Amino acid sequence: MWRHAGILLCALLLIPVLQACRDRDRPEMNGPEPGAKKEFIIGIVPEHNIFRQKERYEPLALYLSKKLGLRVELRIMAGYRNVLESIATGELDAAFLGSFTAAAAIRRTGAQPLARPQYPDGTSTYHGLLFTRKDSSIRSVQDMRGRTFAFVDRATTAGWLLPLHYFREHGIADPEAWLGEVYYTGTHEDAIMDVLNGKADIGAAKNTVFAALAEADERITNELEIFATSPPVPENGLLACRDVEETLRMKLREVLLAMHLNREGRSALDTLGVTEFIETTEKDYDPVFNYAEEIGLDIGSDNGNGSF
Amino acid sequence: MKKKVFIGLLAVIVCFTVGGLYLTNTFQRTIGMLQNIIVLQQMEFQKKNLLNRLETVQTDLLLKDSPHAVDITLFMQHVREMEQELNRCTDCHHAPSMTERINRLREETETYLKGLSRAYTLKADQERERQELNETFTRGDSLTGQLNGIIVASSQTVAEQATLTQDIISSTRNIILLLVTAGPLILVVVSYFFIRGVTRSLSVLTAATRKIKSGMLQYRIGEELKDEFGELASSFNEMAVSLQEQYNKLQETERLAVVGELAAGLAHEIKNPLAGMKVSIEVMVQELALEGEDRDIFLQIIHEIDRINALLKSLLNYARPPRPEFVATDVHRILEDTITAARYSLKRTEKDADYLKKKIAFIKDFDPDMPDIIADPAQLQQVFLNLILNSVDAIDREGTITIRTRRLPDDTVRIAMADNGPGIDPEALAKIFKPFFTTKPHGTGLGLAICKRLIEQHEGGAITAANNPKGAGVTFTITLPIQPGTRGGNNEAQGQNLSTG
Repeated sequence: MWRHAGILLCALLLIPVLQACRDRDRPEMNGPEPGAKKEFIIGIVPEHNIFRQKERYEPLALYLSKKLGLRVELRIMAGYRNVLESIATGELDAAFLGSFTAAAAIRRTGAQPLARPQYPDGTSTYHGLLFTRKDSSIRSVQDMRGRTFAFVDRATTAGWLLPLHYFREHGIADPEAWLGEVYYTGTHEDAIMDVLNGKADIGAAKNTVFAALAEADERITNELEIFATSPPVPENGLLACRDVEETLRMKLREVLLAMHLNREGRSALDTLGVTEFIETTEKDYDPVFNYAEEIGLDIGSDNGNGSF
Repeated sequence: MKKKVFIGLLAVIVCFTVGGLYLTNTFQRTIGMLQNIIVLQQMEFQKKNLLNRLETVQTDLLLKDSPHAVDITLFMQHVREMEQELNRCTDCHHAPSMTERINRLREETETYLKGLSRAYTLKADQERERQELNETFTRGDSLTGQLNGIIVASSQTVAEQATLTQDIISSTRNIILLLVTAGPLILVVVSYFFIRGVTRSLSVLTAATRKIKSGMLQYRIGEELKDEFGELASSFNEMAVSLQEQYNKLQETERLAVVGELAAGLAHEIKNPLAGMKVSIEVMVQELALEGEDRDIFLQIIHEIDRINALLKSLLNYARPPRPEFVATDVHRILEDTITAARYSLKRTEKDADYLKKKIAFIKDFDPDMPDIIADPAQLQQVFLNLILNSVDAIDREGTITIRTRRLPDDTVRIAMADNGPGIDPEALAKIFKPFFTTKPHGTGLGLAICKRLIEQHEGGAITAANNPKGAGVTFTITLPIQPGTRGGNNEAQGQNLSTG
């Protein structure tokens, strides 16, 4: 009997030893393996502040890395027009573009739209807003004379094109002359915050960002007044550059369109605040093309770089 | 003493266990504290790291519009690294005051980050851009200031903790040192006392045995020894008492033996002159024509000399009994002979007319299964005759003498002679076999002593006397081994072989 007890005791003593060995052997599993994988660089426009954008799109990048077997890297751009430059130089393989830059990219660089996100309420478009503080006396174009206007970027629909259209509609051909100071915040978020904080009198931004900020901060709803909206245009979608080969392009589209069918994909979509990706073609950007034409802007020409 | 040892061992084990537990606990605690300090140091390092990163970001911001501006990706990486460090700091801290400060730092960093983003994305006239940059830069500076404050505060904490830990480690070390030295020391001291107690007891006992060996049989252990040694001491004393008694007995026996030898020697020597005296007187009686009273006087002298001779003979018989000659003996035959002799002596005309008047019946109860025993037949006859004659003497007028023999299962035979005389006084019964003890007016007192001697010369033989329980009289019981020596009886000191004289 004692011998059995002795053997059992030895066996019991071995267990912690084995456990310790096992823990040591386990390889560190942090993050995706760096490998000899090819890179795939996706450009991101600064819709929200640049750090926030990184956070939002990161899960998607990881998901795509896994599904495509490539090292998907995000590159946040300092400005909307920087994206067009980077696409033109071939620095990017694809990009999430606002509707204006997308249209420009399609015309100028031959980029191909693949998919765009759809919101929980079923919409996949956005529209532009013009807003001011409730306690400002500005309600019409006339009141804007000599005031400070915060645009987003010359290469955005909501942040430039649509306000421009608005001014033209109301008879102002040259807004810069009419307004006191004009500047470009770079992000929709900043445009909204600047008006809220009094840095600018009037601002223009897209409604989705406005709604997102309003959810986080009730001051937006309480203190800001929207006095104009524009017709809807397609939400920021993914476009592949011309040089991306057909098979990869197809695969990318497939992956995006099927993303909402698995848990991991849904989680990444969640971070973006959308439910799924839907197909997008050149046709979807017709509203943008039309607006540009209406105000006499030639998207296809190369002077979209600074002299809109 | 076993209990003491057991308790002692138990105490040692308990002490060791407690000590071990205390040590283990202390080690755990100390290691915990040291780990704590390491963690604190790590946190310090992290904070410094964070400061570094913050300064890097500030520099990037400053250089944004210069020819040395960093590309936005690198800038974002710097910022990300800064955020990571900040998160690590938050994860670590426990102290509420510190946590509060770090949370505030986080909130302000959020705003700072927004400002950083603006600085990169804003496109406005130079004045506004500059303004934004400065605002963000100032905020960055404020953060740096806050961070430095936190670092100073926490490094103080770390220093305090380090000192505290140092103190505790010191004191713990002292305690352990104490335990580690005191423990074995106490053990040694306790063992020493214990062993000393044992050794002392042992030396007392050893000294006592030596005293006994040297002949001081009256020595007794006077000290009170502890536990089992005490028991040993009292046993020792009892043994000494017993030894002394036996020694005394032995001495007495020796003395008696010496006296006996002297007496026998003397008796032997006296016989010759006595014989001479008797012959001379007889010659005188022949030669001198004596008559009447004068003749009577001489005859009386001869009679007295005869008496002395008889006494000497008995004495010699007792003192130096002849060596028994062992042969196969038929006990029953001897008994028959003895009874016949006894009957004859009853009928014989003697000076004493008393004999004629006695009417004694002899009853024989012999075991049919009686074997021959190895014995000296002449000696046995002497013994049986003596006993029967004693019984005859004891019986006044009429009586019965019963002789019973039995073979016993332990290879002995028992011969019992019982009379229905008046019996023997119990006090006398105790001394009846002692030499020179007699109840008869003319007895030598040696008869039964000689019987005892002769019977006991048969190794394993014994003779006893007892009053009959029912009725009157005495029974003498003789036990003899069939084979002498098989029963390991007492071995009397062999007397010298004596030629009957």
